[in-house]
Amino acid sequence: MSKKLVLEKVRKTFGPLIAVDDVSLDIIPGEFICFLGPSGCGKTTILRMITGFEQPTSGNIIYDGNIINDIIPQKRDFGIVFQSYALFPNMTVEKNIAFGLNMRKVPQKLINERVAEILKLLDLSGWETHYPSQLSGGQQQRVALGRALAIKPKVLLLDEPLSALDAKIRVRLRVVIKKLQQDLGITLIYVTHDQEEALSLADRIVIMRNGKFQQIDSPFDIYKKPKTSFVAEFVGTSNFISGKKNNGAVKFGNLQFMSSNLNEVENEKVYLAIRPENIELVGTTISYEDCVKSNVVESVVEVVNFIGAVVRITFMLQGEEMVFDLPEKEFERSGLKRGQKIRLYFPPDTFHVYSEFFDKLI
Amino acid sequence: MNTNQKEHDIINQYVVSPARMEFDKFIVPAVTIFIGLLLSFFMLFPLWTILTMSFFKGGEFSLLNFTLENYHKYFTTSYTLNALWHSLYVSAVTTVIVTVIIFFFAYAMTRTTISGKPFFRNIIMMPLIAPSIVQALALIYLFGRNGLITAHLLQIDWNIYGSTGIIVSEVLYCLPHAFVILYTTLSAVDIRLDEAAESLGATPFKVFTRITLPSAKYGIFSAAALTFNLTITDFGNPVVIGADYHVLATEIYAQVTNLYRFDLGATISIILLVPSLMAFMFNYYISRKTFSMISGAAKPVIPPSRPLKKILYKTYCILVSFSIILVFATVVVGSFVKTWPYDWSLTFQHYHFPSIGGYSAIWTSLWVSLIVGIVGAFLTLVAGYVMETRRPYFKQLLYLLSVMPAAIPGLVMGLGYILAFNKPYYIFYGTPWIIVINVVICNFTLGILSSISNLRNIDPSIEEASISLGGDALRTFFKIIFPLSKVAFFQNFTYFFMRSMTTISAVIFLVSATVHLAAIEIIMLDNDGWTASANAMCTVIIVIVMAMLGILQLVQKKTSKRPSVLQ
Repeated sequence: MSKKLVLEKVRKTFGPLIAVDDVSLDIIPGEFICFLGPSGCGKTTILRMITGFEQPTSGNIIYDGNIINDIIPQKRDFGIVFQSYALFPNMTVEKNIAFGLNMRKVPQKLINERVAEILKLLDLSGWETHYPSQLSGGQQQRVALGRALAIKPKVLLLDEPLSALDAKIRVRLRVVIKKLQQDLGITLIYVTHDQEEALSLADRIVIMRNGKFQQIDSPFDIYKKPKTSFVAEFVGTSNFISGKKNNGAVKFGNLQFMSSNLNEVENEKVYLAIRPENIELVGTTISYEDCVKSNVVESVVEVVNFIGAVVRITFMLQGEEMVFDLPEKEFERSGLKRGQKIRLYFPPDTFHVYSEFFDKLI
Repeated sequence: MNTNQKEHDIINQYVVSPARMEFDKFIVPAVTIFIGLLLSFFMLFPLWTILTMSFFKGGEFSLLNFTLENYHKYFTTSYTLNALWHSLYVSAVTTVIVTVIIFFFAYAMTRTTISGKPFFRNIIMMPLIAPSIVQALALIYLFGRNGLITAHLLQIDWNIYGSTGIIVSEVLYCLPHAFVILYTTLSAVDIRLDEAAESLGATPFKVFTRITLPSAKYGIFSAAALTFNLTITDFGNPVVIGADYHVLATEIYAQVTNLYRFDLGATISIILLVPSLMAFMFNYYISRKTFSMISGAAKPVIPPSRPLKKILYKTYCILVSFSIILVFATVVVGSFVKTWPYDWSLTFQHYHFPSIGGYSAIWTSLWVSLIVGIVGAFLTLVAGYVMETRRPYFKQLLYLLSVMPAAIPGLVMGLGYILAFNKPYYIFYGTPWIIVINVVICNFTLGILSSISNLRNIDPSIEEASISLGGDALRTFFKIIFPLSKVAFFQNFTYFFMRSMTTISAVIFLVSATVHLAAIEIIMLDNDGWTASANAMCTVIIVIVMAMLGILQLVQKKTSKRPSVLQ
């Protein structure tokens, strides 16, 4: 039922501020797409332009082959779920869900059927005569979802819908949303700053920074093949090593790191990124014989953070703070303590190489 | 799946009515223009008429007619010029007294742990429910030529007529207005500053002069400016108790009704407008600063006051409250006794109002006030909604027009109305409807400010949620915004109703041989020597306003029993 939605060189400025900077994107019908980025990156502005609350300064928003830049929100038939839910506090659950249908003058009999269907779908049966203030946060969220779905929207847009909820309920509602979207086959656009949410939900993630798209890819590719150092740092955690190229290796202070994909970048000066789980503890997760010797370094344990399944260990390398993860069982076996000397191995094929570095997340 | 598919098709056949969406495009500009025109026609136009009347011969606007003769005449006639000095003197003295009294009263309410605070807070607000004439009537009964205290208890020859009477009555009238401002200021200023200073070894006196006073400085100035404005523009009290001590307000009235000198009346109006406008602008400037001083930090509990401090403040509050109660008690009792202060036997005879208006004036006042309340509350809510959430073109201009009425003395506005609309083709002239319009416009400012502050409390996403679901401006307003603004609507209704029942200066020029108002009848009765009946009329107004307050409280309690309406 959803059709193709296209952003074509969309730009939005507020005075001197460029909120969205010439971005283009084709959204496939039925796709779950996540806009992920730090606050102020322009993701909410894009959502507001798609809904019609803001007009692009230039470029087009195209739905089903028609430019919809100037179509008012009322006529777009897009369902929106707001960060604050924005439930009508003066109406019962039932009335909230029926609101859009009432605005369309749908006959009462059909409305009743549709509301009952929605209530069942979202597991809200029995709550129809309650007011929003009498519901829990998770229930309010589901009513907001139901209200948007009741009108059979062409596209469903969610603006940080789970950010106000407790961690446990957040995870449960994630499943609800994903399942709904798959069952209904509806295009869903989801704005969030929570990378875990984006990674677990989306078919494709759009990483945004300063109004620009950094990378558009599946969650797997975003995590495994971050295209820019910003993506590498913003999604998950990365350690950065900067230095000059030198015979297939990178000079980092008095160390030399071999890297197998250095020729991906032209620059003389490069930045290597490595994820904490890719660093190996020599003698525990790998034996010294299996290592490329230049990539083995010595350091000292500074901080030990128990996270759950893994233990994150902070160490210093050439005066810079870095972290590596050790599976909890390996940690127990190794018996690491603060101040203990360690040897770490940076496998040459696990580095991502960049020519630029964003040292601030904004 | 099949039935599901079918139903889906059916629901998607229904769309938001295109006609409604077309209409929606016009509704916001239309309302904006309507409010703009309303304020221009019923505020700017009368003001303009006064201005031309004072600067042009015969009020005919043309270069040849320009004259400063009126002003020359005003400033060279010592009699009229004195009115200006009188006004300034009376207002300045009142301002100082009110500010000092209210500062300590508000201090007692916010910074001490005396008991009975709710009682004191209610009493201090009482003057709002009566016309600004009740104070003068009571003072005459107590301290007049035949006053209970002066002539009978103390048996002295002194009486209160003249400047003293005006000052005392204005002080008693301005207390609630100044209190609202200083109470807000003192409750907003962080009490922990005082505690911090004390912990650093400052004496209580030093804390007071170095911390408490400076941090409340803007509130003090703002309260002073408001008091000055209220006093200099008040008509009811000086006309009753002023005797031959003329002030600007009474002089305007005298010129127009006794001498039919509309040109001089207009000239004095402009002269009155200047200081009141200055006080208003000063207040506006100050109040913008006050807001930046208010911190959102949680307020700690007030530390228990020392016993001596408690006794002193409590005595003080009792004295202030007693004065206000005395005013009301005197007027009410005075309306029920045969001949104050000789014959104390109870009677209803003063309630057979001997004036032309009589009971019809009360009915007119009542229905006019009900309409003013509904129209005023509704209009300010709609205007606030359009300005605040729909952001039309010329929003700033509309906002400026909306806050202007507070700067214009009611008497000036009233005179402007007769000068501007006394033409046969203005069919509302001479009917109660011009009074409805006048009172709504005169009190537009406070109404719209409270509407806007209420609308700002509603999550903007709620409005967007309605729009995204297909709601147009009209249905969004009536189904969502209006229900969510019910409390503010009732508050505004109360305010407009109260103002309409009690205002004198705004409407004194607008009553006619056929249209009478209760508040104006008080002056007429008093003028004709029916002082006890004037008190009775006052009592009737007080009872009506109190009854309305009681009804609204009941209604609000009922509606608030439903689950909380605001998120």
